[in-house]
Amino acid sequence: MIAARRSNLLTLGMTALLVYFLFPLFWLVIASTKTTGDLFATFGLWFGHDFSLVANVRATFTHNHGEYGRWMLNTLVYAAVSALGAASLATFAGYGFARYTFRGRGPLLGLILGTIMVPTTALAIPTYLLFSKVSLVNTPWAVILPSLVSPFGLFLMWVYARDAISDSVLEAARIDGAGELAIFFKVTLRSLIPGFVTVLLFTLVATWNNYFLPLIMLNDPRYYPITVGLSSWSAQAVGGNGGNADLLASVVTGSLLSVLPLIAAFLMLQRYWQSGLSAGAVKE
Amino acid sequence: MRATAMANRAYLFIAPFLACFVLLFLLPLGYAGYLSLFKDQLVGGTVFVGLDNYVHALGDAQLLRGVLRVGLFFLVQVPVMLLVALAVALAVDSGLLRLAGVFRLGVFVPYAVPSVVAALMWGYLYGPDFGPLTQLGERLGFTAPHLLGDGWLLTSLGNVVTWEFAGYNMIILYSALRTVPAERYEAAAVDGAGPWRTAWHLKIPALRPALLLCLVFSVIGSFQLFAEPNLIQRLAPTVINSSYTPNLYAYSLAFTSQQVNYAAAVSFLLGFVILLVSYAALLLANRRPRR
Amino acid sequence: MPTSNPHPNRRTLLNLTAAAVAALTLAACGGSSPDAAATPATAVSQADVDKAMTTPTTLTFWTWVPNIDQEVALFQKKYPAIKVEVVNAGQGLDAYTKLRTALKAGTGAPDVAQIEYQYIPTFSITKSLVDLRPYGADANRSKFVDWTWGQVTGPNGEILAYPQDTGPMGMLYRADLFEKYGIAVPKTWDEFAAAARKLHAADPKAYLTNMSANEAAGWHGLMWQAGSKAYTVAGTTVGLGVNDAASKKVAGYWGGLASEGVVSTDPDFTDNWYQGFNSGKYATWLTAAWGPVFLSGAAKSTAGKWRAAPLPQWDAAKPVAGNWGGSTSAVITGTKNPIAAAKFAEFLNTDPDSTAMFSTVQNFFPAAKALLADPAFTGQKSAFFGGQQVNELFAGISDTVDVGWQWPPFLDQSVKDWTETTGKALADRGDAAAATDQWQARLTAYAKDQGFSVSAG
Repeated sequence: MIAARRSNLLTLGMTALLVYFLFPLFWLVIASTKTTGDLFATFGLWFGHDFSLVANVRATFTHNHGEYGRWMLNTLVYAAVSALGAASLATFAGYGFARYTFRGRGPLLGLILGTIMVPTTALAIPTYLLFSKVSLVNTPWAVILPSLVSPFGLFLMWVYARDAISDSVLEAARIDGAGELAIFFKVTLRSLIPGFVTVLLFTLVATWNNYFLPLIMLNDPRYYPITVGLSSWSAQAVGGNGGNADLLASVVTGSLLSVLPLIAAFLMLQRYWQSGLSAGAVKE
Repeated sequence: MRATAMANRAYLFIAPFLACFVLLFLLPLGYAGYLSLFKDQLVGGTVFVGLDNYVHALGDAQLLRGVLRVGLFFLVQVPVMLLVALAVALAVDSGLLRLAGVFRLGVFVPYAVPSVVAALMWGYLYGPDFGPLTQLGERLGFTAPHLLGDGWLLTSLGNVVTWEFAGYNMIILYSALRTVPAERYEAAAVDGAGPWRTAWHLKIPALRPALLLCLVFSVIGSFQLFAEPNLIQRLAPTVINSSYTPNLYAYSLAFTSQQVNYAAAVSFLLGFVILLVSYAALLLANRRPRR
Repeated sequence: MPTSNPHPNRRTLLNLTAAAVAALTLAACGGSSPDAAATPATAVSQADVDKAMTTPTTLTFWTWVPNIDQEVALFQKKYPAIKVEVVNAGQGLDAYTKLRTALKAGTGAPDVAQIEYQYIPTFSITKSLVDLRPYGADANRSKFVDWTWGQVTGPNGEILAYPQDTGPMGMLYRADLFEKYGIAVPKTWDEFAAAARKLHAADPKAYLTNMSANEAAGWHGLMWQAGSKAYTVAGTTVGLGVNDAASKKVAGYWGGLASEGVVSTDPDFTDNWYQGFNSGKYATWLTAAWGPVFLSGAAKSTAGKWRAAPLPQWDAAKPVAGNWGGSTSAVITGTKNPIAAAKFAEFLNTDPDSTAMFSTVQNFFPAAKALLADPAFTGQKSAFFGGQQVNELFAGISDTVDVGWQWPPFLDQSVKDWTETTGKALADRGDAAAATDQWQARLTAYAKDQGFSVSAG
């Protein structure tokens, strides 16, 4: 009985928190059904005079030769390639560090883990100058390559590989005469999957959200990811020579649309990343 | 297996990561360090100045104010965020909550919102004359504070960051809770411990490593604050100045004042400060119970 | 999916390593600017021009002007060999940041770029703009309003860009509100101040105007009108007088009204600011010639209620105006096709069809004399302004813009310092006039640090 009463109280308190966390998204959904005029003129937390969600979505995708769709695609590609690359590199390396002893392992690992704390924005400007010398600036690679290195991903995979694989299984495989790569792909990879998915998802989010790096690396709107694109629209909407004010509705609708794919990815892959995370969270 | 063979096989696995790490991480870092030793003037060109940029940075009042500001931000925002995350994680894990899965996902959803979008949204919500929060205040009969004004802005920024990352930290803590062995709960239950006592005596101690991880990430996050103030700057240009956060300062030095070299030095010092604070936080947090 | 790009094969990685090593060992750092383009000292011959204009060439053009493809199409029709790629690389500070980083990097800069007047010295000090004299720019001098030509002329007579549009300043006001509160259109700043007090007393939620504490460009226009000589540039010697008497007069005036609370200081070009126009919070907008069209898009709900007038004056007997905004087409150093680029910039801004199109499609306020005298332009009636011939009014104002105003070779820094000193004081209702001294001090320190010789203005 006591437990049940408490649960009501707790549920109530948590509901209040949930309202807080969903409140801006609620606003976003409402706002994306409004015309630019209604955005200014009607109560922000409820629907306006016209329900123009469909018109807004259409306007978002058709403005300036459909650049929004292109940005969406760019973001998908950048995020997918970066995440797959970063997760693969981290998985290989994490396994290498966890399963083999070799000279210099400790210091090397220490060096890499130490750089988790280096602010990535501090790297952006020098990386920009370096990239410009090899003509990588203003190409998709300028955004993808720096995202391939994830010291945190390595950390996670190192911990994960250390714990998820038992030595005896590996020894048995070795005695059977299997090569190291064969062992990795046939025996160990399966048990590393949750860790892999975790790193994948977190790099996916990091790339998806990345703003500073593409902001300075890319000049050509054809290569923009969604974040830089939306920010540039937002600047155009208020700064243009007058005719652009209608763009505000597209900024709002575009914001909403940009959030959906990641939420979907998280929902679908929930099972994997939660177990992957718990490994990193328990060990130091 | 012989040691060299071991090493060769290990390198097979770590070489790709290492190559990228050197080319895309250490090299730019080294380049930044190299740049920080020069000075490039609009009139007169580039000269080697040794450590002058660092000496200048250490006495730079704008930089110092920025560092102190994010320090204050860190001291207030991070505990609030971690407490919220901890509370939600414990509640979701307690088994006392109806529809626990809904809460877990609902609180986590903001993490999937890019910080650019988060800043755009909250910036609109904060609008002092016609923003939804002000409108809501008017309907409910109170005056909402000027959330983009001098006195409130740091709090408003803290709110955006808390909103974005509380769920992320909650998930880390929650995942850690799931790994506490069931026998320990059973033992506690046998001792007659209720859910509150179990949480306090069993779960929170078990969460220490996960909390540390969250703490370190939060240090890094706070001191790197960029996208949120950069976007909200458009709405509050006289409050968020070019040196509001150290990262914003470095950006403005490099791109507005054309002082790339000095910006590199500032970035380096900032990295050093982050390192120091992270280790200090780790040491402090590690000191008490274990040893 | 950006498929057209090369894959980062092993060679790219090798290049990356090699370049990085080179970068680390070279004495010069990444800031070195690209080699000055081969700018001939003497005029390019017509034969060279003809050859360049018939050789297949691609030009990159960075601009934020919406629908400028239409003017570009006119050019491509006349010169089919030349293809112009229009890139929107952002507007204002964003655009200049991108341009500067591209210049710094030595790759990726456009052939032609949209640049506002006030930024021309900032880019010419780094030798980033091509002198257009060898390409026949001088012949176009008489086509443009005098003060605009002064703005694109460098210290040694170089011609650094072609003027495109301008922003002589005037005042847009809500005729209905003026009538409601019995306010006559102010002719002087004294009358304006009295009207500001009267309006705010009558309606505490309304302000006669909003003086944005972040709008350095508009503020400079007001300093310009007041006769400030904030910047005088001669080579590497810079005279700074951002706290001269005229500048202090402007700051004292607005700082006073802001402290009294009778004008607001909201940031401009934000959602909230738009809403302010729609809701009647602001009864005037002190803006430039591009403002009328802008406002008609941003405050549709108030259509028909607005009128335009000249700026209030410090001395009603000698009406003068400043300029806020407007932009140019400049050729960027490092272009491989300087002739084609120069001719493109010239065509865009001197061809009668192209300039006419700017005034009808983009609603630009022209820099071309012919258009300003054209009844088809000045005679346009704007419904938003109750049928007033707004263009004619601003064409008249354009003649009163002071020709002598100069911009510094480090405008970004001055804007930043203004925002953090004078602008901040304005927003905080502090002593804005005194804050101009801080502005002067900070800017002086910066200029000296950058190697300029500085004299007080």
